[in-house]
Amino acid sequence: MVVDVLLAIGVTLELLCVTGVVVMPTTFDRLHYSAAATTVPAFFVLAAVLWREHLSSGGLEAIAAVGLMFLLNPILLTATARAARRQDDAT
Amino acid sequence: MNAFETAATALMCGYLPLGVVAVRRRAIDGLVALELAGTLTVLVLLCLAEGFHRSFEYGVAVVAAVFSWVGGLVITRFLSRWL
Repeated sequence: MVVDVLLAIGVTLELLCVTGVVVMPTTFDRLHYSAAATTVPAFFVLAAVLWREHLSSGGLEAIAAVGLMFLLNPILLTATARAARRQDDAT
Repeated sequence: MNAFETAATALMCGYLPLGVVAVRRRAIDGLVALELAGTLTVLVLLCLAEGFHRSFEYGVAVVAAVFSWVGGLVITRFLSRWL
């Protein structure tokens, strides 16, 4: 039951981020939603996995996967925002 | 079909609208969609690993997290220099 709730919240928020990327008018607005996808929704899915796996090797690898996304994605988003700004300045 | 398999299927539904963004919008918007697709892929792999009870598949999710990040950076550099 707890797993179902955690997964439902995580998937709903993730699809909300997808909707935001599709609907928003500018690149920077889209980046906000793309960034959000690696934070709260991913941690809900991770929590659901950990509820089942606890701190087994699978659980630790799940923590590594979500942790890498959470820590590395801001670098990628900053680089993408710079590229977008460069393109906007060029046009 | 357990909850994790259902969640993976629901997450995979997100690929379609992101593909539409990648095809129809500017290249930089397509890159943003691609980055989000990478995030979705990692979560789908996690859900499938748990859903199918195959612990070795968690390693695939870790590798996907690293390589989607590296791939995104490479494409970002390409877009900022040559487009």
